[in-house]
Amino acid sequence: METNNQEYRISFFKPSNPQTTANRNMVLWLLLIWTVAIFGFHVVLKLIEEPTPEPILLSYQEVSQNVYQGNASLNEMQTFAKVPLQVLSKVFIVPEERIELQNALNWAIFQIADDEEKDALKAEIANFKAIEEKTTDILAQDYQQAKIELMAVAAPMLGLSDRDVRTKILPLELNTEYPQNMSEENIAQLETVLNKYLIHNESVLTNMTVLGFPFHYFYTAVFLLILFVVLCWIYCVRTDVLNKKYGIDD
Amino acid sequence: MKRFITLIILLLSSTVIFAANAATDLEGGFKLGPAIIMITILVIFVMVGIIFRAKNTNDFYAAGRGISKVGSGMAIASNWMSAASFLGMAALMYGSGYHGLSYVVGWTGGYVLLLILMAGQIRKYGKYTAADFIGDRYYSRTLRAVAAVIAILISIAYCVGQFGGIGLLFKWIMGIEYWLAVVIGGSVVLTYTLISGMLGVTKNMQIQYVIIIISFLIPLFILTFKFDYFWLLPQIGYGSVVSDIVGGIPLAETADLVNKYGHEFAMVPMPEYAMPWDPATGQTFFQWIAIAFSLMIGTAGLPHVLQRFYVVPNAKDARWSVVWGLFFICILYWSAPVYSAFGQILSAHPEIGALEKDAIVVYTAQLGNIHPLIVGFLAAGGVSAAFSTVSGLLVAGSSAFAHDLYVKVFRPDSSPKIQLRMARYGTVVMAVIVASIALLKLALIGQLVAVAFSLAGCTIFPLFLLGIWWSGSNKQGAIAGLIAGGLVSLIAIAYFIAGTQGVTLPFNEFIDYYLGAWYFAVFGAPLAIIVHIIVAKLTPETPIEIRKFLTESVHS
Repeated sequence: METNNQEYRISFFKPSNPQTTANRNMVLWLLLIWTVAIFGFHVVLKLIEEPTPEPILLSYQEVSQNVYQGNASLNEMQTFAKVPLQVLSKVFIVPEERIELQNALNWAIFQIADDEEKDALKAEIANFKAIEEKTTDILAQDYQQAKIELMAVAAPMLGLSDRDVRTKILPLELNTEYPQNMSEENIAQLETVLNKYLIHNESVLTNMTVLGFPFHYFYTAVFLLILFVVLCWIYCVRTDVLNKKYGIDD
Repeated sequence: MKRFITLIILLLSSTVIFAANAATDLEGGFKLGPAIIMITILVIFVMVGIIFRAKNTNDFYAAGRGISKVGSGMAIASNWMSAASFLGMAALMYGSGYHGLSYVVGWTGGYVLLLILMAGQIRKYGKYTAADFIGDRYYSRTLRAVAAVIAILISIAYCVGQFGGIGLLFKWIMGIEYWLAVVIGGSVVLTYTLISGMLGVTKNMQIQYVIIIISFLIPLFILTFKFDYFWLLPQIGYGSVVSDIVGGIPLAETADLVNKYGHEFAMVPMPEYAMPWDPATGQTFFQWIAIAFSLMIGTAGLPHVLQRFYVVPNAKDARWSVVWGLFFICILYWSAPVYSAFGQILSAHPEIGALEKDAIVVYTAQLGNIHPLIVGFLAAGGVSAAFSTVSGLLVAGSSAFAHDLYVKVFRPDSSPKIQLRMARYGTVVMAVIVASIALLKLALIGQLVAVAFSLAGCTIFPLFLLGIWWSGSNKQGAIAGLIAGGLVSLIAIAYFIAGTQGVTLPFNEFIDYYLGAWYFAVFGAPLAIIVHIIVAKLTPETPIEIRKFLTESVHS
């Protein structure tokens, strides 16, 4: 009984015959490739990444001091106002952060406007808001009309051309309620939001392109899946060969 | 009989043509075209089931021994592709960019583990359900019962996301409230399961696969063609779409390309869509790794996936069917990111408003001005994907209840008739539970399904892995490992539920981050394995008969 008890032991790491040894070695090799391909690559991606600001964040940093001290040129004010507008044009912004960005944008555009322009802008915003509230169809004539009129008043103040994506977004982000001045707190909150949305983890792996893709995206979304199928294929072919060699019929 | 069915199908398809202009707005009211397409497809499934019905129980379990490897690969793929793959993945990438790719990798990479560590051996072990294997390998009736309960819990968790998807699509097709859509959709899927559960499944699954994949791919060719990208292979062609999102698309270049509402195909640069663990998405490197890992080991621990290997003719076919199955699954997974990339641009204008992320696949097709009937077919494909998976899960769950719990543990003397009745009761009760949870809309579909994967990874996976590869693994070790994995799962899920109810528990932030509900297996599974090994080393060895069986039958 005692001797019997010593037999029939299975352990993946201690194979008992040439066939199980061959199988273990193959499985370990495949696992190694699998692990390195998935996790190894992402560790490398993490290690070499550099937090990289979008160009628009750099232009914010260039002009912001002058803007907050009240001695910015028109050009600098316009550059400043475009920054929150550009972030607002992105697809996913948390609602509370949207308010911070809108505050900065509206503060800036009303700084730019002279008294006459201010009244015109306020009137157009009020007109658009009133229609926007009622409308259920964004294709409705009066809604589109009010939007275009507001755009025509506001876009030139920021020096935005008709062919700028942000021009189309601008009317939706304007508001007559905005802070009269940007307090330290406002500024700090705005900069937190800007840093969150305008700094990205880039590296040589993300900036290279392959077949139109950013390389790392191609690697994960396309190549890894191909690799998985190939690994499975290799395993099956090799197992068939090994089984034949050791005369195993399954 | 066949002629009669062909006639019905022809009649139904002709009605579809008359219904052509019914679908309009993104949500809108009742959509006749899509509704008819969906009903037609479901009728076809049932009809095919009738034509190829299983002649006897052996046929039923073996699910067609004559089927080719390619065919059973398709069956694996259709069984696998659910609302989470069809709708959920695109939703995750749409909402959180590169982070969403951890789900793509997780739900495919796991098949490599499954194949090289388990598939062939499971077939050689030769049991019918996961609980059967665990009860037998660990010579314990209690463990069998516990495994059956866990299998039921996993099925429920998995189904909740599916019901959510069914609810969204029924809501879209019928223009009704979400809760009503879940109730109606749930009733339809339940009826469907009860009918099709008695029929042969595998032929059905191949047809399901073909319908699901075609409905998913057609809109992609149209989108890439329409918006001027390389359309012959959208899965590669969308690379430039991703780069365009990163770099921004200026207006001037796209003068006449517009979405459904006349918004130009343009956007400001959004590198957060493609850059890894971008701060804007609020997701970290750790979470990327944890999700990929949890989903992968979860794949190799899901009872309804493992069960598929019991029914192939031999171990060789079991192995090859995985290769084909994975390939067919990958076709969908290579394609899903295309929807989220186009969805990103087409919904970039704030006027579109916040869209229900889980329906982004359908919305993208609509925003891209694709013909309403094709969008209807797409939605019907989504319903089929959810239906095929739900019916498989409800059958797996109810058979765990009837076969593993009721018969083997409580009433070993019950007749097959009673067994069948218990299985039906089980199916109904499960469907009701699942629908009630789905009504709460706790999270995105993909995330809800990920909970089931982590649960499987913490409990079933270690038992199979060690049970197959180490004869030293014994009952005591299994129990201890299961308790450890179960505790981790319990803590993670309790914190998740508390969070959704607005309750703050101690160490909330810490647990929420490190044991998030979608990836708690990253710590749970290794812990369960270590505990299992330690306890097994300290307790009496596995009986000789089982070791002998392992050596001679499983590893020969």
